[in-house]
Amino acid sequence: MASLSKGSIAALIAAVVGALCLLLESSLPWLVKFPAAWVLPATDWVGAFMEWFLALIKPTARAFSALMFYPMEAANYVLSHTPWPLVICATTALAWTLGGVRMALMAVVGLGFVLASGYWPESMNTLALVAVSVPLALIIGGGIGILANEYPRIRQPVQTVLDIMQTVPTFAYLTPLLVLFGFGPVVGLIASAIYAAPPMARNVLLGLERVEPEIKEAAIMAGGTRLQQLFQCEIPSAGQQIMVGVNQCLMAALSMVIIAAVIGGFDDIGWEVLLTMRKAQFGQSLLAGLVIVIFAILIDRMSGTLTQDRRDRHDPRVAWGILALGVVVSAAFWGSVQQPGTYGLFNPVADSVDRGLSSFTSANAEFLTALKNNVLFYVLLPMRIGLDQAVLPFTWGFAWTPMMSAALFAAGAAAGAVFALRGQMALGVMLLIAAGMLETGISQLPWPFVLVGAGVLAWVASGRGLAVLTVVLLATILLSGLWERALLSLYLSGAAVFACAVMGGAIGLASAVSPGVWRVVRPICDMLQTIPLFVFLIPVLMVFQIGEFSAFLAIIAYAIVPMIRYTRHGLVSTPDEMIEAATASGATTWQMLKDIRAPYAAPSILLGLNQTILYAFAMLVIAALIGTTGLGQSIYLALGQADVGLGISAGAAMAILALIADRMVQGFAEERRKALGL
Amino acid sequence: MTGSETPAITCRNVWQVFGNNADSALKEALSQHETPEAAAQELRGKGLIPAVQDASFDVKEGELFVIMGLSGSGKSTLIRCISHLLHATGGEIRIDGENIVEASPKRLIELRRKKLGMVFQHFGLFPHMTVAENVAYPLRVQGVKKKQRLAKAQEVIELVGLGGREKNFPRELSGGQRQRVGIARSLVADCSVWFLDEPFSALDPLIRRQLQDEFLEIQAKLKTTIVFITHDINEALKLADRIAIMRDGKVVQIGTPADIVLRPVDDYVREFSKDVAKGQHAHVSSVMQPGEHHVYGADDPGLRQDMTLDAALARCMELYEPVPVRTEDGKLVGVVNPADLAAALQVEQG
Repeated sequence: MASLSKGSIAALIAAVVGALCLLLESSLPWLVKFPAAWVLPATDWVGAFMEWFLALIKPTARAFSALMFYPMEAANYVLSHTPWPLVICATTALAWTLGGVRMALMAVVGLGFVLASGYWPESMNTLALVAVSVPLALIIGGGIGILANEYPRIRQPVQTVLDIMQTVPTFAYLTPLLVLFGFGPVVGLIASAIYAAPPMARNVLLGLERVEPEIKEAAIMAGGTRLQQLFQCEIPSAGQQIMVGVNQCLMAALSMVIIAAVIGGFDDIGWEVLLTMRKAQFGQSLLAGLVIVIFAILIDRMSGTLTQDRRDRHDPRVAWGILALGVVVSAAFWGSVQQPGTYGLFNPVADSVDRGLSSFTSANAEFLTALKNNVLFYVLLPMRIGLDQAVLPFTWGFAWTPMMSAALFAAGAAAGAVFALRGQMALGVMLLIAAGMLETGISQLPWPFVLVGAGVLAWVASGRGLAVLTVVLLATILLSGLWERALLSLYLSGAAVFACAVMGGAIGLASAVSPGVWRVVRPICDMLQTIPLFVFLIPVLMVFQIGEFSAFLAIIAYAIVPMIRYTRHGLVSTPDEMIEAATASGATTWQMLKDIRAPYAAPSILLGLNQTILYAFAMLVIAALIGTTGLGQSIYLALGQADVGLGISAGAAMAILALIADRMVQGFAEERRKALGL
Repeated sequence: MTGSETPAITCRNVWQVFGNNADSALKEALSQHETPEAAAQELRGKGLIPAVQDASFDVKEGELFVIMGLSGSGKSTLIRCISHLLHATGGEIRIDGENIVEASPKRLIELRRKKLGMVFQHFGLFPHMTVAENVAYPLRVQGVKKKQRLAKAQEVIELVGLGGREKNFPRELSGGQRQRVGIARSLVADCSVWFLDEPFSALDPLIRRQLQDEFLEIQAKLKTTIVFITHDINEALKLADRIAIMRDGKVVQIGTPADIVLRPVDDYVREFSKDVAKGQHAHVSSVMQPGEHHVYGADDPGLRQDMTLDAALARCMELYEPVPVRTEDGKLVGVVNPADLAAALQVEQG
């Protein structure tokens, strides 16, 4: 038995603990339900501490808030009082300079749509927030990145903090800020600056670290002072990577400004979406959502050109011409143009969308309900509460008997044994565990099993350090009384990630095999990745109303993209030499895929899975708006009640789950990469 | 070059150790062990990496000093110690008598602005600057006015034969052209000590030879002191006044090209010179028995001191007795046994 692999040992340990829990379940109920008496009032502690702490820095914060009020007002004033022809022409001129005719056309059409939709004033309000928060985020992020590069000692801690900041769900930022700054647009501004700074810091640091050592040495040998080296040589050399940071920073800021609309107090486009959604005016909310998407795409593509290696030069005279045109038109027709908010060219469209939608949903009510119920009853519910409770005569047509449990375990054990005999011990035991989990349901897993299972999984993925970290962090959630909610979150995001992995993997595979498919899939992926989280809620809500199923769909729609991308990328990026070697050996296309491309792509696919998990967690919190249970809902509730303790604890629990999942998958990916010598 | 002059560069017992607490570990190891080998052994045992061990040598003013070794032998580390891109862990490095290991950061900047120039293997050009801006950069950091520095840059650009390329960006140039930019940049501030870290290794053989020749021309014009790193024995023999051979962090031999070829101190050095056409690099003087009072045979094939061994052997193929070696004007300076010529070349005697 000494020759057992690490994976087999881990699987066996988990299986034994799981079996013990199952056996003792009836006599020791505390194994399943963590006794309330053991829970530490950590949420209250955190709340009390944070309130004390926030009260301490509140005067500073309020002063800062008052200070930020001026640039915000100024930006708002400028943007909303500049004649719209001038804004459109200025944007188009900028687009021309950055990306030529195509970009300029995109700007004209996009902004024209915004104008025609009648959402111009709201859009300008949103832009004003972005315009103030982005410079703030750039300065903060850039400063952090440069400092971390200058002082290697703080680099590791800074990286860790940035990692954590990226896993903390967006809403969780808002609650403490709300307490600090009070209701109002400043919270959105600061939240978006805080949220958008990490990608900038990360890319600045990465860019500076990646500057060729010889360039750094050349700057030293030229006799530059440290500041000269940094600002004249290293930062310009890292320019491209820094521009990637600027791009991500812009997108994050926009996304957060829109999410922050849930606080209200500012008449911006995110608020408009929320409002129309609440009134079930889906046509209008789709329209407002489209406006957001247009801004997201414009900002992304325009700033994206900065990251390109070699940019074409576009004649600046054209840009000046466009700008002059804007001035002339504004001056000549200012008296006669309509106020931008009064256009409503698409209102009839929106109304007919509403009408069409209601007739569609009523016409297909049976099908839609059947689809929703089937997924709910036969997939989601069993995963959540287990077959033993989900299988009812009412839904499945028969009751779950202990006999069936026994049969399920027997089948699991038999399949496991087959695999074990074939030498795949770990896989066999895992099958057995899966059978057990199916029987119990994720939200009702005994906590000792979860702790041990996650611990050994972390041990296999990366070693003792991560195992200890995992168990300690999970125990924190357990003791803080958020356990049940955490398991609920785990279940929903787990189900969504699983669906993403299967479907995204399949789509990725299809895209890798057929360039035609990729040509269709790629723009959709680009689009989905640019759209701010919030907008995903609109279409699912339109068709399936509020509920877990809608949330499930929204999460999948958002989180599936990385899985597709990384799967395809991994599969197509197999080195030509390996392909040639396989061809020369006489492999068929399918054999090539199975034996050569897939193993080579494994690390890349794992990274895609990792991203998918993080995306799913991020969306989970947003999806709380349309009905999920678990941590996301707690964070959202805390926001509504300005309950800092709950908000922070639930946010932290969420971040812990994301962090552990992230580290584990990274560990596996790293191991595969090492095994392949990459 | 008289012996009393201060050498341009002096290295005494230079150590570069990588790892945690390298400074104290080195001090401890040196105090406990007699020989550098034993000290290095102890450092390795502690998980530290002694990349340069106890390197000592002088480079005379105007000398072209080549440091040669395989990758990982510590030659790049050593040149970075001398140019103080790395702070030497132990020992003393003097440039024109000034100990730069102890120089203040301010003084180092001044030294680099006025005295030191460096060329890098992968050129180290700034991608966002044009050729002219790259070359003028060392002047820019000194605060030289734009017009002046561009004029000076133009001179050096012409010197390296890149005239007409001033407005190009590095990415638009070929490898050989890029290295010309690197060379021009290192020369623009009139350095007196010139470091070249494998400057031609990344280039293809034809361009390499061309740049070597041009480099020798520039050197003949400027007469700077040069430390030149290479892993190519032929390049070392072609360029060097003297060569230091490094192995695993140690300097194993220092000598003229002929010394290295004809009198390798160990198998490692011998292995290097194995593929070298020795006859082209060593001169008669290296196997000659000097002095005027020798017995020699009747034949006088007309050998000179500075003749290569190949040329000399060609004249003595049929001879067995010692032959005289004379200067241009016929004065006897020594004798050579033809058998020694062949032995030096390790040519089988038929």
